[in-house]
Amino acid sequence: MKKFYLVMVALIVASMVLTACGGSAAAPSGGDTAASAFKVGQVTDLGGIDDKSFNATAYAGVERAVKDLGVQGKYLESTQQSDYGKNIQQLLGEKTDLIITVGFLLGVDTATAAKANPDTKFAIVDYSYPDCFGDAKEGQTCGSASEMPNVLGLTFATDQAGFLAGYAAAASTKTGKVATFGGINIPTVNIFMKGFQAGVKYYNAQKGANVEVLGWDTAKDDGSFTGNFDSLDDGRSFAESFVQEGADIVMPVAGPVGLGSAAYCKETGACMIVGVDTDWTVSASEYTDVILTSVMKKMDNAVYDAIKAAKDGSFKGGSYVGTLANGGVDIAAVKGASSDLNAELDAIRKGIIDGSIAAQ
Amino acid sequence: MSNLTVPAPSAEKKESKIGAIWRAISVPVLAVVTGLIVGAIVILVSGENPISAYGALFTGSFGSPAAYVEGFSIWFSSGQTGALVRAFYPLTESLVIATPYIFAGLAVAVGFRCGLFNIGAEGQFFIGALCSAFVGYSLRGLPMIVHLPLAILAGALGGALWGAIPGYLKAKFGAHEVVNTIMMNWIAFRLSDWLLKGPMKASGFRPVTPNIAASAELPRFFPDPIRFNLGFFLALLAAYLLYWFLFKTTLGFEIRSVGANPDAAKYAGMNIIRNFVLVMVISGALAGLAGAAQVLGVDHWVGQGFSAGYGFDAIALALLGHSHPAGVVLAALLFGFLRGGATNMQSIARIPIDIISIIQGMVIIFIAAPAIIRGLYRLRGAKDDDEAVLTRGWGK
Amino acid sequence: MTHVLELRGITKRFPGVLANDNISITLREGKILALLGENGAGKSTLMNVLYGLYQPDEGQILVRGKEVQIHGPNDAIAQGIGMVHQHFMLVPVMTVTENVMLGVEPTKHGVFLDQEKVAKRIREISDEYGLEVDPDAYVGDLPVGIQQRVEIIKVLYRHADILILDEPTAVLTPQEVEGLFKIIHTLINAGKSIIFITHKLKEVLAVADDISVLRLGKMVGSADPKQATTESLAALMVGREVALTVEKEAAKAGEAVLVVKDLFVRDEREHLTVQGVSFEVRESETLGIAGVQGNGQTELVYALTGLLQAEAGEIHLTGESIKQATPRRILERGVAHIPEDRQRHGLILSFPIYDNMMLCTYYKEPFAKGVSLQQKAIFENAERLTEQYDVRTPNIYVHAGTLSGGNQQKVIVAREFSRPIKLLIASQPTRGLDVGSIEYIHSQIVKKRDEGAGVLLVSSELDEILALSDRIAVMYKGQIMAILDAKDATKEQLGLLMAGIHPTAEIRN
Repeated sequence: MKKFYLVMVALIVASMVLTACGGSAAAPSGGDTAASAFKVGQVTDLGGIDDKSFNATAYAGVERAVKDLGVQGKYLESTQQSDYGKNIQQLLGEKTDLIITVGFLLGVDTATAAKANPDTKFAIVDYSYPDCFGDAKEGQTCGSASEMPNVLGLTFATDQAGFLAGYAAAASTKTGKVATFGGINIPTVNIFMKGFQAGVKYYNAQKGANVEVLGWDTAKDDGSFTGNFDSLDDGRSFAESFVQEGADIVMPVAGPVGLGSAAYCKETGACMIVGVDTDWTVSASEYTDVILTSVMKKMDNAVYDAIKAAKDGSFKGGSYVGTLANGGVDIAAVKGASSDLNAELDAIRKGIIDGSIAAQ
Repeated sequence: MSNLTVPAPSAEKKESKIGAIWRAISVPVLAVVTGLIVGAIVILVSGENPISAYGALFTGSFGSPAAYVEGFSIWFSSGQTGALVRAFYPLTESLVIATPYIFAGLAVAVGFRCGLFNIGAEGQFFIGALCSAFVGYSLRGLPMIVHLPLAILAGALGGALWGAIPGYLKAKFGAHEVVNTIMMNWIAFRLSDWLLKGPMKASGFRPVTPNIAASAELPRFFPDPIRFNLGFFLALLAAYLLYWFLFKTTLGFEIRSVGANPDAAKYAGMNIIRNFVLVMVISGALAGLAGAAQVLGVDHWVGQGFSAGYGFDAIALALLGHSHPAGVVLAALLFGFLRGGATNMQSIARIPIDIISIIQGMVIIFIAAPAIIRGLYRLRGAKDDDEAVLTRGWGK
Repeated sequence: MTHVLELRGITKRFPGVLANDNISITLREGKILALLGENGAGKSTLMNVLYGLYQPDEGQILVRGKEVQIHGPNDAIAQGIGMVHQHFMLVPVMTVTENVMLGVEPTKHGVFLDQEKVAKRIREISDEYGLEVDPDAYVGDLPVGIQQRVEIIKVLYRHADILILDEPTAVLTPQEVEGLFKIIHTLINAGKSIIFITHKLKEVLAVADDISVLRLGKMVGSADPKQATTESLAALMVGREVALTVEKEAAKAGEAVLVVKDLFVRDEREHLTVQGVSFEVRESETLGIAGVQGNGQTELVYALTGLLQAEAGEIHLTGESIKQATPRRILERGVAHIPEDRQRHGLILSFPIYDNMMLCTYYKEPFAKGVSLQQKAIFENAERLTEQYDVRTPNIYVHAGTLSGGNQQKVIVAREFSRPIKLLIASQPTRGLDVGSIEYIHSQIVKKRDEGAGVLLVSSELDEILALSDRIAVMYKGQIMAILDAKDATKEQLGLLMAGIHPTAEIRN
């Protein structure tokens, strides 16, 4: 019997080792250079570092800075709400020069830590200050009533790129109906949908067409939401019901949920997908066939620029807004676009940049 | 073996105390040691240095001696406490993490004592946290002496209700508590999603509750960022009370009897059904208190993803602690220090935080299959020290 | 005559216990050696040494005159030694064939199990020794007696010619015991040798060729079954003279304590197992309920003690109906219950003795004040009762599960008799116990009767029924065949009634 147990223990160890090897692929990177090197630390939200979404994209910016700028970079993953503060404290304890926090849930903890440590620089992805309004209490329900000189909020005018995607979708639909849905109805999500709807409307006005948008209405400030950012099944069923209502293009603004929609489209061939955050023909290349285009939010660029500025001393607090103009947002190449459509999209891009076309 | 009785009553007096304690803790202790060894192998195989990793784990959970020295010397020389607070931060943070673990571990342990498997501690934790948060933010202007107890009580009641439902279903319809507590977990998760997006949402767009009033916060004893608070002592108090209840009262005697042998309990005139419901209520209340302690003591608000599987880790804690309140407290402290040090290990030694889950998982495997540990370390088999049954079968 | 097996000077120590002290036994070829001893005498330890489960500290094992080393069951089997354990090692959800081949699975082409081959061998063995076992039956469906035969087949399948039967009759009905004895003789005629471990004296005299008696880990003597008597064997076993017959005075029956009328009870599987039973038990009187196990006695007792709800009929305890009452209500009305299955109902094995000693009265003074348990009173109670009822235990703090069967039963008796009772329901009170314990428990039951309690004794041992009862009711298929006066009852008469046959004239009163 003893032998049996030894074999079992060996097996368990082996399986654990394999698991760990798989997991350790995402180990923090960075040069082991002198202690005086510029230190950058990222704190993820609950999605973890390999969420294939904004935690990963932001960290891609850190990694590029490690390579190009010779800074030290690392990340700390949060597995629960109370980790946010703890992880920021950990980085502060290591005298990190720039702390990058990801997501609005870290808004209060970031602001609190930034105020207590004015010499440390912070950048927060997808959020900006001031964020206090109404009866919100500073340091509790909101982070700060004013801009902080050591905090840079990185936000993105994704409505601008969404507008282009909406126009492209309206030009590509064969059924005359396009759809979108979100994870939760919050500004960073519905801004995609607002731009998308505006783009479709602009197409209708320009071409005298009557393409309909399902799943979002800016006038009502409401639409279709899965209520989560993780259920691929929801992505599938939302896409299915939109197709049943006649739509043939769907833009899911719900992180990995959209992969469920893409899988549905690929299996049935009944729809095309507009990806969000990154270029899905790269990040979800198995669905390339059904990706019409993607609304790209170039968080890696923004993070990289913030690190560069902090390192060379030009860091300034406030807000960075990624736009079509500064390359912070854009759409990926539209599949099967005619040269006319590409020309029209270029014209609209110019119009949005010079302000002659409103993105919402 | 049954006819191997000691011939003369005088042969052995009560087994020596140390021997008895060692028999009770040898397997858990060796399981932890083995878990750490396996963890070290995993670290080694993934190309890192286990010694520096565990060094970082240690300083991350207890604080570094150098930081203590520096902190005290700055304090003595200049009276500034900043460095001292920073030195104590890791230790206090480990205790902060251990606090909900103690409550949740006790919740599952009391269930085991009655032969019930409460997998629903996670859901009860959520509901408890939401109830405490609600009382915490919706009532304003109360003095702390009223508001704080009310908020704590709300958490306990919420969890108790969530535990009582599967308890009642088992009592009334014989529905197995494992299935129903899992179902209640999902209801709790989705209910909290909805509450955080709707009725309980703070103004603004974030799906979180408003912050609780200061009068509902569990008092903290040290300057920021130390989050150590009264909750830890409440958890210890709960452990003591549960010990007293289980081992010193007739109600506890009934619960343990029902758990150890329901047929004999029925024979002795005990009401099995009533005990099932009672235990699920107590278990739920303790899990709810875990959520209350977390929201009132640490976070002060509830958002999505509020719990990191406390309710599930609690099952491991109860196993590790032999379903004894003192054992659960020790197990919770261990998990607190592991989790607390993990951040530092992740940061300094660049070990993915998942290694802690692996170590915990190994410990649980070794606890659940003690024969592995006994075989590895050539321990003599404990004959019948398993007073706490895990759970009854699916039948009945 | 050759000695097929010889153990010489076997000594085995456990911490604090000398389980076997220089024990020597010999087994003659083609003979039955009975190993006799009370629970705890060291019989099982000795056999586990022989079977390789323990290594002896001293001594030798000789098989056919050659010294051998046995380090485990595989070595034992290789020497032709096979063991049939008291608690069967069978997998109920598997067939007989699958159970037999477990551990020695023969294969076709190296990978496929060859079940047919095994089944064929089982049929051959079964025919050769008259075992009548169907290889394709599921073990869980078989009665205990047949399960035991499966165990025997397992041993024979592995070509054993020395069989160790560890307490083989403990779980059998009288009929099954008869069957087993027939099988044992067939085995002997086929040249096998058998060690038969037991503490039942009559069985020993019935089957054994040689008898070795153990007491407290020592060999205390051998006996020739032709000259030995149950009395002489009992004296050897226990170390003193034992009264095998119960001394009791004639009943002075008083008022009826328990009146049962037209009682119907369904068991947990919804079978109507008690079908219209009526009787009464009076003060200072013992009513024995005889019958082969499984004729509704268990459910009858459950209904009387509140563990099962009666379907129909009436139960009156000292004038009050207790048909709907909870076990506690019944208990509090002065009923003591020695349950049939002491480990299932009677004790919490993982609890210390002191807790078991107050299992039914823990909520009352002096054990509790309010909800607070009074440890001092609990300990005192346990100390007093272990002393008074002669429970052999190192102390009151050990788990009940560490006690021998007889001492476990004494704990129950002590607990149940320690409160004032009007009715004692004793179900199979001495099953599996050794002579000393049986004597003691019988005397206690008689004492309770003489103190004025009514006693309902349920037993499948006719000797016990005859020894203790004032009146005897025989149950068959859920009904009472007859109620006889014990003075007039004979074994033959009762045996017929137990088989459902009315003797020539009906004797009912």
